[in-house]
Order: sequence, then structure tokens, then C-alpha cells
Amino acid sequence: MIFIENEGNTDPHLNLALEEYALRNFSVNHDYLLFYINESSIIIGRNQNTLEEINQQYVKDNAIHVVRRISGGGAVYHDLGNLNFSFITNHDGKSLNNFKKFTAPVIKVLNNMGLDAELKGRNDIQVNEKKISGTAQFSTGKRMISHGTLLFNTDLGEVANALNVKMSKIVSKGHKSVRSRVANISEFLKDPMKIEHFRALLLEGLFEESEPFESYHLTAEEWKEVHQLKAEKYDTWDWNYGRSPKFNIQRTKRFTAGEIDLRIFVEKGYIKEFVIYGDFFGKEPVENLENLLHGIRYEKEDVTVALKNINITDYFGDIQKDEFIDLVYGED
Amino acid sequence: MNIPSELKYTKDHEWVKIDGDIATVGITDFAQSELGDIVYVDVDTLDETVEREEIFGSVEAVKTVSDLFMPLSGEVIEFNEDLEDSPETVNSDPYGEGWMIKIKISDSSQIDSLLDAEAYKSVIGA
Repeated sequence: MIFIENEGNTDPHLNLALEEYALRNFSVNHDYLLFYINESSIIIGRNQNTLEEINQQYVKDNAIHVVRRISGGGAVYHDLGNLNFSFITNHDGKSLNNFKKFTAPVIKVLNNMGLDAELKGRNDIQVNEKKISGTAQFSTGKRMISHGTLLFNTDLGEVANALNVKMSKIVSKGHKSVRSRVANISEFLKDPMKIEHFRALLLEGLFEESEPFESYHLTAEEWKEVHQLKAEKYDTWDWNYGRSPKFNIQRTKRFTAGEIDLRIFVEKGYIKEFVIYGDFFGKEPVENLENLLHGIRYEKEDVTVALKNINITDYFGDIQKDEFIDLVYGED
Repeated sequence: MNIPSELKYTKDHEWVKIDGDIATVGITDFAQSELGDIVYVDVDTLDETVEREEIFGSVEAVKTVSDLFMPLSGEVIEFNEDLEDSPETVNSDPYGEGWMIKIKISDSSQIDSLLDAEAYKSVIGA
């Protein structure tokens, strides 16, 4: 097994690009291990609807990264107290979905540290009935990634804040995350330990599991390609938000001027259908508004720009433009 | 393990049914059983021309996402949209209602490179 040095990077966009780059480009004759720690971020499952997973205002106010990963499963919160491990291997027809195989060495290290860790359900590692690690996989052709989180001393309050979804009434095929009772590994340790020390212990433990072990530093040329993948994919709105499964959203609100009922259909992040119902009275037909919003990104800024030159009272009577924008895109 | 003799196969565990210049593609009984409960089928190449062995989509089963590969070069002309509502059909009827895409074949000479049922059987050691 070869250990890939991520050189201490904590940018989740870069770390996920590095992981995918290694999967697709590194030699099929070796197994690889990668560790990474991300600064505050929400990592969305491959087929999830980002808007159904995050508290957008909170994420924006606190500069939390939102990045989609290529593996399955639900959204997770990462910060500098969470260590991610990733095995990049061939899949032999037996490893796929075999979470036991790659979590076993990790669990063994945790057991040696005195934790009563065990694999629970299909792919969670638990200590005392609380989840400390979630895992997922991605496979392409002969190669696969089996990776997981390890909550060491993550700010668990932030997990709840960042993943507290405020935008409901979305009907989509994306599968929503299931919340679990979580805990930090540090809570179960007798003596305090820094995450750097934990990382070293884990590496040492995994090292014993697999005999020849060397470290690999990417070349400048390889890093260039990792950065290119980051720019083309993991930095983009189209991947992190737009790639969500198509969804319908209905938003209704009663104003003094009357009730406004919106039906919006979003595909690849863009508004594909926008219909306004209600019992308000305006002097202009709402079709004009529907046409303006059709085809734009379903994002607050884009909606605001599209309505820039509109006098909203012409359409609905006595309501503020901000109120209408919040109805199109905002918290419930 | 069900491996219908009238179909063609790939080493990536896909089946192909040829009908003139149209190929219907799905994943095999072996593949669906290895993956487990399928929760999402993602095809983002509809109406695109994709080369053989390039990725045409992916399938997610209990936290595992796997890429899907084109068995033949051609245009992806249809996606089985029923799978959006009921991806589990891939598990229950992989060779029937669980089909995934239809391809307009661009190079019919590639058909000869597909595996027959016997050859696929030896790939999975059945």
C-alpha cells in the first residue's frame, strides 16, 4: 500500500479532486491510502439535492464550503476535527459493498486505543451506540474508492446548524440524509489527544496491517492536473448544486394583496417551469414574470437579477419585491 | 444466476440486446445482486454520442456509486425514465423492465466484440 501525501491541504474542493484524480490516474498495480482533513464544509452525496440538505443562510454567513462528492450516501459536515480516510484499490467483485473489509483495520486501530468501536448497520462505525464514522464507495471499471469520516473533535453543534434544512416542500427523487446520533472519538479517550497525533496513530496502525508501505508526493505536473479537475468540477456551481436530481417545489404565501402560489420545476439547477397562481390583482399579466424566470439558475442572486427592472406591484398589487424573491427562493 | 442466452454481454456486467441498429442496455443479474438495493440511476448523456467504454451514467446502491460504461459507440436515444420513480426495478427485473438506455449504434462491427452468454458466464465464474 502506498500512502498519498496531500501536503496538509484543507480545501475540500482540492481534496476531493485529489481523491478522484488518484482513482482515475494512479497505477492499477497498487493500492493507495489517502488521508485528508477539510476546513468547515458540507460534503453532499452524489445523488442528493443540495437544497434539501443544507441551511443556506447559515452556510453563506459562516463561509462553509458546499461540495458534492462522487460516492453515494448522505450529506456530512466536515471541519478540522474530522479525519477522512480513503482507500483506493482494485475491486475484485468482492470488495464492492463490502464495508466490513476496509473498515476492519480502522476499527482495529480504534480498539487498540481503548475504544469499543464496531461496525453497525451496513457501514457506520459506532462507539457506545453513537456513530463516529460514516463510509461510502465509488467504483469505475476496475478501480474503487472506499472512504469514510472519523469524527475526532468536530464541533457537533455546527453539524446541526449547517445541516438544518430551512427550505422544505421540495419534491424530488434525490434521497434525503438520515440523521444519526453522533459522537466524537475524543470523548471516549482517557487522555486528551490532538488530531495530528490521532492521525499518526491511525497511519501507524494501518501500516502494520499492510506490509510494504511508502509515501508518495505528487509531482508538480500531477498537482497541476488535480487543480484542473478542481476548477472544472469541484469548484463549479453546476456540480455542487446544479447536479441535483430534478425536483418540484411549491411555495405559497398569503399577502395583504392576496395569495401567491408558485409551482417551480428545476432540472440540472435551472428553472425549467415556473407557474404563478393566486387570487391577487395586478395590471400586468404574470406570464411576463414567468418568462423572465424561465431558464435561469434557481439561485437567489439570479432571481434577483432577472427581476431587476420589474415593478412588482404591477403584477401583484401591494407587495414588496424582496417578499416575492423570498417566496421564489428562501426559507419557509 | 440468470444469464439469458439470446443477449450479449460486457466484462463490465452489462447486457446488450441488438435490434437492427438499436441496442438496449442494462446491467446483469450478477451486477444487480452484487450492488444490492439500487436507489438511483443517473444517466446524463441522453441525446449525446458516446464512444464505447466511455461513461454514460452511474448507479447508486446503498452508499456505493458505480459508473456505467457504453458497450458500443453510438447515440444515447432513450433513457428508461420509469427508473426515476422506481430504481428498484433494476433489482427485480434486470433484463426486462429494468433496462437503462437505448443506443443508436454507430459502428455495427463492434457488436462482434461483445461476449455471448457462455463467455460472460466464465467472466463471473458461474
